[in-house]
Amino acid sequence: MKIPTPVITLIVGLALAVSLLVSSMSAVSAKKAALAEASANTGANTGTAAPASAQPTTAGASAATGQSPSAAPSPSSSAGFVIPPQANYVGEVQGDLGSVAIVVHNTFAVAYFCNGKTQEAWFKGTPQDGKLSMTGKGNATLTANYALGHARGTVTVDGIAHVFSIIAVHRPSGLYQSIADVRGATVKAGWIVLANGTQVGSMMPDANAANPSSQTAPKLDISSRTAQYEGTTIVATPIDGETGSGF
Amino acid sequence: MAAQWEPPAPTRLDPVQPATSGRLLVVPVLVGCLVSLTLGIYGRLHSPTGVAVDVIGFSNGGTVKSVLASGAVVFAVIQVGSSLVMYGKVRWISAPSWIGGLHRWSGRIAFILTVPVVVHCVYALGFQTFSARVLVHSIAGCLFFGTFTVKMLALTKRGTPGWVLPLLGGLAFALLVLIWFTSAFWFFTTFGWSR
Repeated sequence: MKIPTPVITLIVGLALAVSLLVSSMSAVSAKKAALAEASANTGANTGTAAPASAQPTTAGASAATGQSPSAAPSPSSSAGFVIPPQANYVGEVQGDLGSVAIVVHNTFAVAYFCNGKTQEAWFKGTPQDGKLSMTGKGNATLTANYALGHARGTVTVDGIAHVFSIIAVHRPSGLYQSIADVRGATVKAGWIVLANGTQVGSMMPDANAANPSSQTAPKLDISSRTAQYEGTTIVATPIDGETGSGF
Repeated sequence: MAAQWEPPAPTRLDPVQPATSGRLLVVPVLVGCLVSLTLGIYGRLHSPTGVAVDVIGFSNGGTVKSVLASGAVVFAVIQVGSSLVMYGKVRWISAPSWIGGLHRWSGRIAFILTVPVVVHCVYALGFQTFSARVLVHSIAGCLFFGTFTVKMLALTKRGTPGWVLPLLGGLAFALLVLIWFTSAFWFFTTFGWSR
């Protein structure tokens, strides 16, 4: 029976898609294996290192965590997930209301939420087996689950909870911070550079005040890592879990 | 005297033509729905990895995908243009003999160009809803592949109503353009060509 040519088109497309998918999965598996080995060596491993199998473990394991897009899911055990000891995650929160960055570096984690205007919060916490429970000023909280490649959770700032599902990124995307003295006031700014290169940043022009207010941060020049504020050049430090910068 | 008596017009016996039937489309539409749903559900449940297989020659995934997607749109425009000529809608051009071949091949190339893009998109980024742009993109992306599947399968059926192919083709094109606007166009206008 002669196969009609439109069906051949579909079959060719499907075959191409499947082969790309399989090679993507093995590329990610290879990365997992390399990470598992590295974390076993550094001893910062949480004991979940799974040697790479070419199985689509992310798809299988995430089926359990994907039922509700709103709640922060918790994988029953970290079955199939590799928890990296160092990672940077950035992304937008649900509803176009701001962005969040989470940086994990061995036993420390830092996170930052801002909407590029008057809402921002810095968080600190200790990573525990792929889970984060962080706090910031003014009852701001951030809870998340993270693994290789992605993190999911909820950040609550000023009483509003924002859900997020974000991906791991590398420089130049990531979190940047600047703490500078500008004419006697301590200016603290944070920028989140998203995976697509756009940036969002807020700053407190008087960070040591009792109730510091926030405003839009000046644009960060990513190549020089500087920004201009009221005639002064402020320098930003990348907060990078992979290099340890900022920790 | 009396009006001429006219014999009743003989019953015309048309050559046997099967009635065109929309029912022939049931299976293609079901398959198309399956394709759309699979893409959407997988994209939603699968944990986006942020990475996929690298395509050599470009600095990052966003550029690769935007270029491929733009190429697909170019071939899709040739698709639509050639279909207009085939249906005689372009008065000053009479369809040359190779127009059918042009239409089919431009379509195949456009489709194949979209495949690496959708694999990367779904695998590395997933079905996202955090902004209107990505929501529209995610939905249109799923619908496009379903529509394209229906169109391909409908081509194998004789006797579908005449409006089916233009409708499916037009819909596929509209969805592709929507996908392109919410991704490649946005990407190039945000970052330019340098990356």
